[in-house]
Amino acid sequence: MTGSGSPHPWLGPDEAAPVALTVNGTALEVRVPPRRTLADALRDAGCTSVRLGCEHGVCGTCTILLDGSAVRSCLMLAVQGQGHHIETVESLAGGDGLGPLQQAFDDNDALQCGFCTPGFLMLIESLMRSEPGAGEERVREVVSSNLCRCTGGGPVVAAAQQALASNRDGR
Amino acid sequence: MSGPRSRLIGSPEPRRKNRELLRGEGTYVADIRLEGQLHARVVRSPAAHGRLLGVDTSEALGIPGVVAALTAADIDDIRIPIRLPFAESPEANRVLQAPLATDVVRYVGEPVAVVVADDPYAAEDAAEHVLVDIDELEPVLDLAASSESSQPLVHEHFGSNTVNRLAYRYGDAAAVFEQADVVVHRRLRVHRLAAAPMETRGLVADFDPASGVLTVWGGAKVKHFTRGLLSTVLGLEPTDVRVIEVEVGGGFGTRGEPYPEDILVALLAQRLQRPVQWIEDRWEHMVATNHAREQEHDIEMAADRDGRLLGFRVRGWCDHGAYVRTQGLLPAVLPMFHLPGPYQWQAFSMDLDAVLTNRTPVGTYRGPGMTEATFIRERMVDLVAAELQMDPVQLRRRNLIAEESMPFTFMPGPGSGAVMPIMYQGGDFPAAFDELLDAAGYDQLRDWRREARSGGRHAGVGVSAYIEFAAVGPFEDVDIVGDDQGVVIKAAVGSLGQGIETALAQIAAELLDVPLDDVAVEFHDTAELPQGFGAFASRSTVLAGNAIAAAVDEMRAKAAHLLGCAPGEVEFRGGVATGGDRGSVRLAEIGPTRGRFEKEGLTASFGGAVCSVSVDPADGRVRVHRFALAHDVGRAVNPRLLRGQLAGAAAQGIGGALFEELAFDGNGQPLSVTLADYMMPTAAELPDVEVAIIEHGSGSNPLGIKGGGEAGMVGSFGAVANGVADAVGEGAEVLSSSVSPARIWHALNDPSEPAGTGKPAQEA
Repeated sequence: MTGSGSPHPWLGPDEAAPVALTVNGTALEVRVPPRRTLADALRDAGCTSVRLGCEHGVCGTCTILLDGSAVRSCLMLAVQGQGHHIETVESLAGGDGLGPLQQAFDDNDALQCGFCTPGFLMLIESLMRSEPGAGEERVREVVSSNLCRCTGGGPVVAAAQQALASNRDGR
Repeated sequence: MSGPRSRLIGSPEPRRKNRELLRGEGTYVADIRLEGQLHARVVRSPAAHGRLLGVDTSEALGIPGVVAALTAADIDDIRIPIRLPFAESPEANRVLQAPLATDVVRYVGEPVAVVVADDPYAAEDAAEHVLVDIDELEPVLDLAASSESSQPLVHEHFGSNTVNRLAYRYGDAAAVFEQADVVVHRRLRVHRLAAAPMETRGLVADFDPASGVLTVWGGAKVKHFTRGLLSTVLGLEPTDVRVIEVEVGGGFGTRGEPYPEDILVALLAQRLQRPVQWIEDRWEHMVATNHAREQEHDIEMAADRDGRLLGFRVRGWCDHGAYVRTQGLLPAVLPMFHLPGPYQWQAFSMDLDAVLTNRTPVGTYRGPGMTEATFIRERMVDLVAAELQMDPVQLRRRNLIAEESMPFTFMPGPGSGAVMPIMYQGGDFPAAFDELLDAAGYDQLRDWRREARSGGRHAGVGVSAYIEFAAVGPFEDVDIVGDDQGVVIKAAVGSLGQGIETALAQIAAELLDVPLDDVAVEFHDTAELPQGFGAFASRSTVLAGNAIAAAVDEMRAKAAHLLGCAPGEVEFRGGVATGGDRGSVRLAEIGPTRGRFEKEGLTASFGGAVCSVSVDPADGRVRVHRFALAHDVGRAVNPRLLRGQLAGAAAQGIGGALFEELAFDGNGQPLSVTLADYMMPTAAELPDVEVAIIEHGSGSNPLGIKGGGEAGMVGSFGAVANGVADAVGEGAEVLSSSVSPARIWHALNDPSEPAGTGKPAQEA
């Protein structure tokens, strides 16, 4: 077993590697064992809005944006985040209020227990950026990437449509 | 302040907490990080049934970072008790679960050891190095055959796989079946399900040796019961145990019951004198957290040729899994109370066995017992309707108990066990049923079905009607504390994401006439709360809401005393109590005031569901196009939140019928241990749910409220199954609450395979 200073490139499972991330526009340097998931590393760094529902990429609760695209952070290793821009739900609202997408969730009762909510918000944020003209069917398809046990997801579809529509109206 | 009094009860106020949750700021139990915190990992049985010959932790203890490991030999002989006196029996008390298995393992996932390390990854590694030596035994898996002499015993010392047989007789069933023109006899099955909240369970425990206080974060549902249990197990005074509820990522009946892990994590924190965190992973959740619903019923139903339902006789087997857990015999008791439903039977006879099998123990999941019973009864009513060549809606309407017959009791007769009478206090079932049909647009659905069928599609419409018993006592206490900012309501209820704090604040704000924003609701920390029983059986708003009303009455009496007037003269206006011309006192001056609402028995409410479905014979896939439900909630405190609860529960029910199933193979190995095999519905599979709220009041409590948090589930299985049966017609019999594609495809393509007479989808 050798450390990062050795000529051997391999790290042991619990030897820490430095990883430079950008999280919500701020540089974050973490030292993590190579097997640590990106989700765990973000949570350890205080981003607890990244929540874990299944840890195998099905539920989508841990969805973040990586360079603008929605990814499941439980399926990535933290070391794979090196040099990438990460966005979490903290980026959606300025000050202590709600951003338009969050407001649409509130208006449409698209959350109950709130556990899956940050993942859904990031999923839809990515859709709004990449497909601002997405129609109802496409929205439903994207929303069905994630699981919501409280609402079943129907109100999330409504919230996403409202947010997309107000985006298109330039608000 | 003057002006019109605020009318907040019944107002669709926005839910509290949303802002915080939408900003990702809520603190869930996994978010808690205490200084020096350790991480526990439970080692679980890989076998469904076997003799536990040894558990060797020595190798695990040698792994760097590992601090401790416990097996059953390291802890006292503890059994996790039943928390509901009416769900206990001497027999059930003999098959309770220990926190760690001793001589025998009885289900895959049963805890056999726990390992603690300074890092969760290290704890998980170490758990893999605990050597568990098991001599496997034949598992008990078949419900109806579980008590045959050929079967092994789940608990050898108990001598039987039947914990108890519950019997309820009403009228003379034999005589009624004699006179019947039509008798339908079937064996129906309800499949095994998981509540599966998005947040798995978790706990953090911290023992402070200086004060002798143990604090546990991650409590939910029944915090005071958990506090009492932990104080007994740990040898502490109840007041030296604090159980704190943090944000809860869904409960649905399963989270917050005391489980083996609650005891283990608390014990470890006390012994190691360091904070210990345990976060369940999803695989663990699917084998360790209570399962629900699995039952088999052999039932016959009798009617006359004019379409009068006469009676039914049922022999049922209700799976409790490998142990009776904290909810006792409820998995058998609740179906029994809900089987008769809203119809005017002349007689019935029910024998339900609470049976043990080598599967994860069964507890309650939203709409427990009632969802299963409603499926059984309503499927049978449709089969009787088919036999009579009568419209199923007509048959139901004709047999609903009329309003003038209220209150109505099916008094248990000779041959019944020690059971509470099944009693409906009131309600206009026929009118509510018509409201349901209106909300669903039943006539248009029938037109849709006709058109779809003429286009060659398998289209159907399904209906179910039910009674839900909810709002169980014995009581709930509430403290109201006035201060300069307003009032604080303290109640030992729990939040499951249902918005209880919003509803209770509305009740208090209206009764005291203070602005809604000036009411804070505190329910998190047992150290700060009066005694209470918690959040289950759709009881929180009913019990705590009425306890608020009682506390307000008490405040009125105190204010009258201070003002020197009669209580009837006291009026609460804008944060002060006035007593006619005797002046006024501020709420803060009245002092902390406690109110208690005691409640006997359960409150029955009527509801139903209607859906339209189509079935694709090529792949067996069922699609639910429209789903409508109606539920009598007595009085809606917050119709907006209530709709969310009812529609959300219906979504869970529809998903449960269409896709979800906890299946096991012939060795008792669970086949649905990830969210990729336990398939929960998404927005793409679910219809929008129409909700009709019926407010028929309730005489059982001063505020007139009935339960509402679970009811959306209750009619779902019955309606979906009847819709599928209607769609496939003669093509297949629908005898299971699961209408998964595999079941339906097999049923359509192999006439010897009715839809779910038996086997899990994987074996079909």
